[in-house]
Amino acid sequence: MTPRPNPASPESPSFGAVEVVCESVSSGYLESEVLRDVSFTVSAPGVYVVLGPNGAGKTTLFRTLAGILRPSRGHVRIRYTDPSAAGARPQLHYLSHLDGMPDGLTVGEALELYCRVERAGPADLERVLDQLAIREFSHEFVARLSAGQRKRVSIARLFLRPRAIYLLDEPTANLDPKVAREIRTLILELARDRIVLYSSHNLFEAREIGQYVVALKGGRVALFDRIENLRGRRLVIGVRLLEPSDHLAGWTREGEYYTRELSGPEAVPALLHDLDVHGVRVRELKEMNNPLEELFA
Amino acid sequence: MSAASPVEAPPSLLGITIRRATILGRFFLVYGTVLSTLLAALLTVSAGAGFVSGFPLFLPVFGAVGSMGGLTVFSNDRMKGALEYFLAYGLSPQRLFTNVLVTALVLGTIIVGVSSTVGVGVYLARGHPLNGTLALSLGGYGIPMTYASAAFATIVGMYWTALSSPRSGLNSPIGLAPLIGVLPPVSVLTTLSLLASAGTVTSAEVTEIALLAVLGVAAVTVALLALSGRLLRSERLLSPT
Repeated sequence: MTPRPNPASPESPSFGAVEVVCESVSSGYLESEVLRDVSFTVSAPGVYVVLGPNGAGKTTLFRTLAGILRPSRGHVRIRYTDPSAAGARPQLHYLSHLDGMPDGLTVGEALELYCRVERAGPADLERVLDQLAIREFSHEFVARLSAGQRKRVSIARLFLRPRAIYLLDEPTANLDPKVAREIRTLILELARDRIVLYSSHNLFEAREIGQYVVALKGGRVALFDRIENLRGRRLVIGVRLLEPSDHLAGWTREGEYYTRELSGPEAVPALLHDLDVHGVRVRELKEMNNPLEELFA
Repeated sequence: MSAASPVEAPPSLLGITIRRATILGRFFLVYGTVLSTLLAALLTVSAGAGFVSGFPLFLPVFGAVGSMGGLTVFSNDRMKGALEYFLAYGLSPQRLFTNVLVTALVLGTIIVGVSSTVGVGVYLARGHPLNGTLALSLGGYGIPMTYASAAFATIVGMYWTALSSPRSGLNSPIGLAPLIGVLPPVSVLTTLSLLASAGTVTSAEVTEIALLAVLGVAAVTVALLALSGRLLRSERLLSPT
């Protein structure tokens, strides 16, 4: 039996031990079971992107890991502790797919409320106001904020106190690309020495931010691997030209791109050589398909 | 960074909930306070000694309606996902319920405090004596029934909110909870009127009926609160959106 260490202080998260364990977990709601026999273990810091189509069980998984839903079968352990136990709470941050902003308060008051819940102090609040660039609208009522501003304030609470584990359910959903990118940057900073489980529908975002992918399908884990290990069954290359070329007449056209399926990445240099030899002036060359798409198929 | 031990009790959110309830439920609060105060003033001026019997009977009606701010906060927090956040940080459903219930009682206190002070003040200023009947009708029925009705409407409204899909307007729990809240005092009012018109009720029986009604409503409220942890699992407090 593995000895049970004392949970490390959230102020100085230490890794190497098993941090998040799902062991044959089935979970769901009164009416239906959503997760079925889900098992995985997370121990290394990094961003673990939880992917899956609607209804795959992403939100249910996060709620179960956060201790809000109790598994009907199996066990969840956050740093060797049941997530609903008081000892597990200070180990993790949870951001639901809703912003969870309490109406009837200004942004500053809402953050003070979060400070109370997080046991953070005034200095933490001041730091976060600048870190998330929300000081300028800190006197506005929450109800008057745009969706992007609300999400930013909601995410601000993640920075009030450091935790070892972050459960972020679609943190960039419904945000404009600029705000979404800013938030991804903040999350990547967090993930340097912490575990971030991050759910998303966005496959390109998953490739940009994630080091690992946990793919859910029908409430089960369909894949858990490093993203770099994922190789698509097909590699489709798109070429955008500076000027038209007859050499690509036989290629398929997708918008501004001429596309062609290759046997694999090793075929790309030969393709580039061929284009160069035939005087094709290339403006851009990119991979058209995302191997993560195949997880949804 | 603030230092903290990994295991700490969740903080009290009562103060901020009360504050939010006065903001989000201001319409109810103003409505309940203004109407009950106006009623108190009108009864003392027009009915004179009738204030003693009339005001305590009507006060709970306005108290129940005016204290809906707590339920408004609860319903709003469920929809916006704030309850989910609180649950994830260790606040139990029962604790969230208690928080809102105490908030409703505080709002009820504002209504009772303002209207009773004005009513009794005007009553005394007009030369009426401060006697035992006034103290009994107000202290034995009017004020406790106001608290009981406010708490009853709030807890039923919270159960309803937690068990229902989101609805808005008069068909929503917030739209219907005030009607539930006025049900006990209106039932007492109707029963007493019927008995009085039949001439079969003594003043001791009136007191007895009123006290039993208060105790009954309070008991149901306490029972619903005690059962909330068992009947309403955390998932019932998650936003349905």
